[in-house]
Order: sequence, then C-alpha cells, then structure tokens
Amino acid sequence: MRVSAALPTGVAALFLDSARRHRELEDTLVKHLLEGRFEEVILPVVDYLDPYEAMLTNTASSWVARDELYRFVDRDGEVLALRADFTPMLARLLAPRLGSLELPLRLFYRGDVLRYQEERAGRQRETYQLGAEVLGLPGEAGERAALQQFLELLAVGERRRVFVVMGFAGALDRLLLRATNGNDPTDLVAAVMRRERRVARGHQAALLQVVENGIPDDASELGDLAAERLERLMNTCSELNTAFPEIEMRVDLAEFADQALAPELQLGGGLRAYYDGLVFRAFAGAAAEPLGGGGRYDGLFQRLGAEVTASGFSLSLDRLLGHGSDIQETRP
Amino acid sequence: MIRLALPKGRNLEIALAGFRAAGLGLAGLELGDRRLRLTFPEDGLEVLLLKDWDVPLYVEYGIADCGVVGSDVLEEVGGDLLIPVRFSEGHCRMSLIGKRDDLPKPGEQVRLASKYPRTARSVLADRSWGADVLKLSGSIELAPLLDLAEVALDIVQTGRTLRDNGLVELEVVRQIQPCLVVNRAAYQLHRSELNRWVDRFEAAEVVE
Repeated sequence: MRVSAALPTGVAALFLDSARRHRELEDTLVKHLLEGRFEEVILPVVDYLDPYEAMLTNTASSWVARDELYRFVDRDGEVLALRADFTPMLARLLAPRLGSLELPLRLFYRGDVLRYQEERAGRQRETYQLGAEVLGLPGEAGERAALQQFLELLAVGERRRVFVVMGFAGALDRLLLRATNGNDPTDLVAAVMRRERRVARGHQAALLQVVENGIPDDASELGDLAAERLERLMNTCSELNTAFPEIEMRVDLAEFADQALAPELQLGGGLRAYYDGLVFRAFAGAAAEPLGGGGRYDGLFQRLGAEVTASGFSLSLDRLLGHGSDIQETRP
Repeated sequence: MIRLALPKGRNLEIALAGFRAAGLGLAGLELGDRRLRLTFPEDGLEVLLLKDWDVPLYVEYGIADCGVVGSDVLEEVGGDLLIPVRFSEGHCRMSLIGKRDDLPKPGEQVRLASKYPRTARSVLADRSWGADVLKLSGSIELAPLLDLAEVALDIVQTGRTLRDNGLVELEVVRQIQPCLVVNRAAYQLHRSELNRWVDRFEAAEVVE
C-alpha cells in the first residue's frame, strides 16, 4: 500500500537540515533567555474554551478571533480548544497562584500555536513560538525589560534589516473619539490602520499626520497623558537605537490604532487585543508578516482577579528562519 | 529602490496615467508590454507586471513594496495591506445581475455565480434570501443567461454587455476603484518616498 505524505493545509513537517536549523535557533534563543534569568514554563496544547470565551474577538484584527480557534467537544462533553496564544493561558494559570510566588517573575515558553487561517501561500495554521513574560516589575520597568529581551533575541544571529515599530495602547483614543463624535468608530479605526489619507483628512489635521507620519506634529493633540507617554516612548526609542544599532526602532501610533483603552472605542466590547501599555512588533525587510511582537497587559491579569504588572512578547521561529532565505536578494 | 507591482489588465492604463500625471516616471512602459520585470533607475523604481489577482500576494509577501490593484480583488483576496490612496479614474461597480427584473424574494434560495465567492458571501450575509455560491473563472454573465444561476455578482462598467444580452443590473453592492496598496513593513521602510508619491498624486488630482 502506498501512503500519501500530504499534510493538512498550513502545517509543515521539518526534516534533516530544516529540523536541525530550527532546533539550533531555538537552543540559541533559549540559552539567551536562561542567561537573562528567565525560567521555563511548559504549557498544555489543549485547554478548556470557557475561560477564554470573553476574550475572543469577532475579527482577526487584534487577538485571536473566534473563527480562528480550533475547538472541539471531548468525549466527556467538555468544550476544548487547541492553544492559539500562550499569554492568556499563562495568565489564567498564574493569576490564582500569584500570591504564593515571589515577584518579579521572568518566564519563558516555547511550542506550537494553532490558528485557522484561510488557505493562502505563507499563511501557516501551525506556528512554533518562543516567548517570554515579565511579571511584577513596577512602573514601566517591566515593559522595558520585556522589550530589551525581545531586542536581544532579535539581535541573535545575522539577520538583515530588522526593525521594530512601537506604540502604546490608548495613544489615539482622544483623536479617534473627537473624530467619531460618538458614532461607531469601527470604520475610522480600520481606515487609520490602512493609512487611508482620504478618510484621515476628512477628520482633523492631527489624525492625518498620524496616518502619514506615525505621530502628530503637536503631541498635545493626543491629550496630556498620551503626549507625556509619547515623549517617554520617543526617548526610549532613541536610547534603544543606540543600544541596538543593528535594529531600527520607530514609533508609529497608526500601526496600533486598534489598541484603544477608552471603552467607547473598544469596538463592540471585545474587539481589541489585551495590551494596555507599550506595544511593539518586529519586521524583517519588506516581509509584511511580523517576526513577533508584544507589549504590556496588566488588564488581562486584572480581568482574571490578579493585580500585577505584566509585559511579554513572542517570536515566530518559522518566520525568523524564513528570513534567513532573504527575499531581498532578488532586488536590483 | 521601490519595487512596484502593476496589474497587466485594465488598471495598468489608469496606474500609468496616474504615475505619469504625477511626474513619477515609468517612461517607456507601454500597455501590452510583454516584459515581466522592468527597471527605471532614474525614477528609483522597479516594476513587476502581474495578473491583477497576484498583486496583493506579491505585496503582502514583501516581494513588491507596493502595487496598484482594484478594490474588488483586494476585498476578495483579503490581505493585510495599507491603502493610502484610491485612484479617481477607473471607477466601476460590483453588482448583482440577473435575467428577471427583481432580486430573489425573502426566503428564496437561489444559485449565485461569481468570480468573487468571498465577497459574495459577505454580500449575502444580511440578505433575506439565500444562495449557493458558484465560483466561476470568467464569462459570469452566461450563468444567469443559461440558468446555471439565478443571479450573478460581477463587475459592471457601462452596462452595455448586460443590455446586449438581455440581463438586468439588479443592485449595486460595491463601488470599485484601483488603489495604491502598500505592504505594512515597506511603508515603514519607504515612508517618506511613499508620502511624496501620494502628495504628487494628490497635486495631480488623480486620486480621491
């Protein structure tokens, strides 16, 4: 009998050199994390769906969308889901235990996440992630520690032109609230995310400047708190540019327009990621899919009944390795 | 150098007119050009000539930094691309068409033929009637004409083909126009140049 070697759409098997390269990179990154005093957690690949129901969104614009989850009913009648994101799982498991743990905690994890994606070249349904979380560092120190570790891992190996885009949740709340004037913000937020000039121009100069340049000319347009936050972020960006000369750091608030904090902007009460502070994503060359990203998510723990500062990130090993076969080579 | 993906079809004419009106070069590139890859060093541009449907994929993958593509293809393909501007020329509409004068009645279940099954499902999502979507590759008008489907979802420009074949435009569901699309990462890398393009498109009044 001849057996087919075909695999389902969006999953891959790694053999020989591919498998070796994968493990070598993973080992190198893990070594860095261990040297940075991060400790490993091993999480299950299957979990109850129920604890995550309230966090699911209806579209894939930010966190895991309802339609992306692989879920099923177990033989004993429990509704289960395959792991689609490490952070909420880790938060739910840690929240009840935090009282008995010594803070700050530096944890890392690795493994597959599975998300249904429409069939398209380059859209994997199973991806291997490595990520880390920093819990219990006060103020913005946790954000800084997570970002610093993220950059250190990105700097491992010889990768061509990696750049990191940063913003923070709630940065555009005031501009968007003023522009939508109580109406449904969904279309405007989507247009800002797509950098649609025509739409931005129809509202106000500051929104157009964010769409074009990532930040407004006059930061006070964002409101006092956000303006202050932006100034600190610009300083951080500048410091990190010096510390990591091989990685370009940028601030672009439009990239994170859907990361709102104002309840009126949370697009139908759930259509948002869990980030509530710094947010960042790393890109390699011109490839549109990010290598990874992260941010601060204290609110996720609060929703689970725990008060702790939390920041983290994840990296896709598949994309880090894919970047090795650099498509820039084909350019004139 | 920016790599630009241009569609070989109808939108190439609009894109070329737009780029030239804005003084952004592309001299020597003609409609019907059979080359697949052209370099314009003086304009800082490399052009890939692709099928409309392939433009979003090339741009999303970062093989091209940006491209010109119809909003119909963009919606159907569903990629994560930035759309800084939409061209003002080349407007057409996506419409439901059929042989009879009205749309299916509430509760009716019909067959709908289209090149755009994903868009069709979105159009059907809030209808009082349902349809099995049949994906066709071309000559969509034949489907209602020969009763393969009761309705079709297709691009209508002047409506002449419909009239010549005894078909009726039942409802316009989308306005379609060519768009400049940019890869999210490429936008960060070439923002000042792309903003300059957009400024010049606007000054030349070739975009909305």
